[in-house]
Amino acid sequence: MIELNDVSYTYPHTTQDALHRLSLAVPKGSCIMVTGPSGAGKTTLCLAAAGILHHEFGGKKEGLVALEGKDVAAYASLSELAKTIGIVFDDPEAQMIFTTVEEEILSALEYRGLEAQVIEDRLASIMTTTYLTELKNRSPHHLSGGQKQRVALAATLALGNDVLILDEPTSELDEHATRRIVAILKSLKEQGKTILITEHKYAHFREIVDTLVVLESGSITAMGNPDEVMTDERVRTIVIPDFSGIRTRQQATATPAKPAAAPVVEVRNLTHTYGDVVALNSISLTIHAGEFVAIVGENGSGKTTLVKHFNRLLFPTGGDVIIKGKNTRSSTITELARDVGLVFQNPDHMFFADTVKDEVEFGIKNLGIPDGDALIDSALDKVGLRHTRDLYPRWLSRGERQRLAIASVVAMSPSIIVLDEPTTGLDGNEARVVMEILKDLQLAGHTIIVITHNREIAQQCADRIITMEKGNIISDSEPEAV
Amino acid sequence: MAEILQYVHKDGFFHRLNPFSKILFIIVVSVMCIISTNLVFLALLIIALLAIACAGKLYQELLDQSKLIIVMSAVFILITLITMPNGALIGYLIPEGIPVIGGLVPITMGGIEIGLILTFRFIALIFTFQLFLISTQPRDLVHSLEKLKMPIDYTLMFVIALRFIPTLQIEGNRIHEAQLARGYNPGTGFIGKIRSVAPIVIPLVSNALLRSNVMGLTIDMRGYRTGKRTVVRELKFQARDYGMALVMALVFCGFVALVLSQVL
Repeated sequence: MIELNDVSYTYPHTTQDALHRLSLAVPKGSCIMVTGPSGAGKTTLCLAAAGILHHEFGGKKEGLVALEGKDVAAYASLSELAKTIGIVFDDPEAQMIFTTVEEEILSALEYRGLEAQVIEDRLASIMTTTYLTELKNRSPHHLSGGQKQRVALAATLALGNDVLILDEPTSELDEHATRRIVAILKSLKEQGKTILITEHKYAHFREIVDTLVVLESGSITAMGNPDEVMTDERVRTIVIPDFSGIRTRQQATATPAKPAAAPVVEVRNLTHTYGDVVALNSISLTIHAGEFVAIVGENGSGKTTLVKHFNRLLFPTGGDVIIKGKNTRSSTITELARDVGLVFQNPDHMFFADTVKDEVEFGIKNLGIPDGDALIDSALDKVGLRHTRDLYPRWLSRGERQRLAIASVVAMSPSIIVLDEPTTGLDGNEARVVMEILKDLQLAGHTIIVITHNREIAQQCADRIITMEKGNIISDSEPEAV
Repeated sequence: MAEILQYVHKDGFFHRLNPFSKILFIIVVSVMCIISTNLVFLALLIIALLAIACAGKLYQELLDQSKLIIVMSAVFILITLITMPNGALIGYLIPEGIPVIGGLVPITMGGIEIGLILTFRFIALIFTFQLFLISTQPRDLVHSLEKLKMPIDYTLMFVIALRFIPTLQIEGNRIHEAQLARGYNPGTGFIGKIRSVAPIVIPLVSNALLRSNVMGLTIDMRGYRTGKRTVVRELKFQARDYGMALVMALVFCGFVALVLSQVL
């Protein structure tokens, strides 16, 4: 079991507590889920509970962290702690050291002082539990995010510890991959493992969670039986994203009717192949000015491949894409960037400047747009980040970084804004804020196209839902009446 | 996607060899490459390496490097032509008819020969190391180097550096795309090139540093540094390894004899 008693922690070179007088007990065989806004201290809590903060990080520590009844300070090193506890981090890529799935898990088993036959048996059993048997010879770069996360979990399970800590293991995974992780954790819980997990996807994990903890600004603000905790309306908005009313607000303001609006994106028999793999199979689609379109589908269904054609990051293998009357085949990426803004899933793939202002200015300068300062301030106002103008972008929380990514694109004033999974890694409130921003942008006249795994977002926010599967559009309809 | 120097899971004879046999193979071929200045011998060595790759079902993986090899070869030959003019003059890289710069960079037999020697050496060395790395599981490599008393931290560092080549390549592409979508247009000319590096390299390095932090913790939390390992699925020294050692010994003796008799 894990016990944290009155734990406070301040990172080196900072003055504010990352954890503040936090007390928490994870009893043997139970599953505790910690949730809260990005930047609330969830990862720090995981590091503290695993004893890593004590052994690897400097900073100011107070209170007691005990694992299986023993103070983490009494463990000689991380390797000693690793005999008791296993931790899975949110970035699966960083947890794959070797070049095949089987090798990764086998290597973790080899250092446990087990007999060779026991290792082979345990390897086979773990591969089955984590649905990895068929992937055993795959290399990391040939695995999907969900598969990689299962490998990281499997390698941690190989340690054979009864206590598991998982830091947002499904943050970048789609519905199917998330359900698989939940199924694995359910069977581990049934085997008597103690699980501490930080997550945003409460609905998926509800069936295995015994205690729900809400962490805000380093302090626990709610804790207890999930059903009881969720009766508090304020907590509910953090735990479960509530997108209700976003679309209807748009209807109240009566934007122009769709048929009257000009088509801004026309996709005609678009085909795209990667080698022998057909990623898009002759699809056709028209999106009108001012629409809010959600593109849904599982990983690998072709959603991202489709939108990358809108600004010519990908060139059609067959067919055409017409953006505001111009064929992308005869336009450059820079020209298209004036009309189509694309916000990728991971905002950290774009930040390089020293300040938020410079980051937003980058796109404006690239396009040679005059009066940059006014555009920067206006974009930052739209996403509520004006106060961070002079901060270093990577210091912002995940939610703020996501909004900054949107501002960086909005500042370039494209009429079409495409966003790939804009609510990844965000809590309920942050996700709602992002979707409200997008709705406001639509009201201001932009066409919004959102790629999402989350059907709730599509249902509650979009005017139109396009569902993709295996490179085809399988449905294109208005959201069902809610 | 180019998967440079990545382990390829196959069942070929080179995969079944003990890593030590392959290390011996690398040493012998590398020494011969470095000592020999005979073009015919180096060409035969490359053909032999391709034949070995063919037998070990790794031919395609070697040929995938053609682009890199062609570019590097051109660079080697150009550098030697410019810096080491020697022997009979064949002509000029810049024709004499052109005013002012005409007649610069003489093309000489000696220059071409040295360029070709460097190129052939380079190709042979690339093929040799590639054969070793793509046929040896990093786990076996770590354990072999451990037996040679290399500290585990260094061997893991080496393995991880190789393992992350494709990952960084993919990440670099994603960053490039994210910046292109913001109208990033890499400038032309030297200054433009230098300026255009920051938007790609800064996110790449920042993300890699964050990742290295998690990776370090993962290595510790999986107990890799405890040094107490149970030996599982170890590749034993078998008849084929003795055969390889014998062949390498004979090849090397033959090579030494040829060098001493000044044939090579």
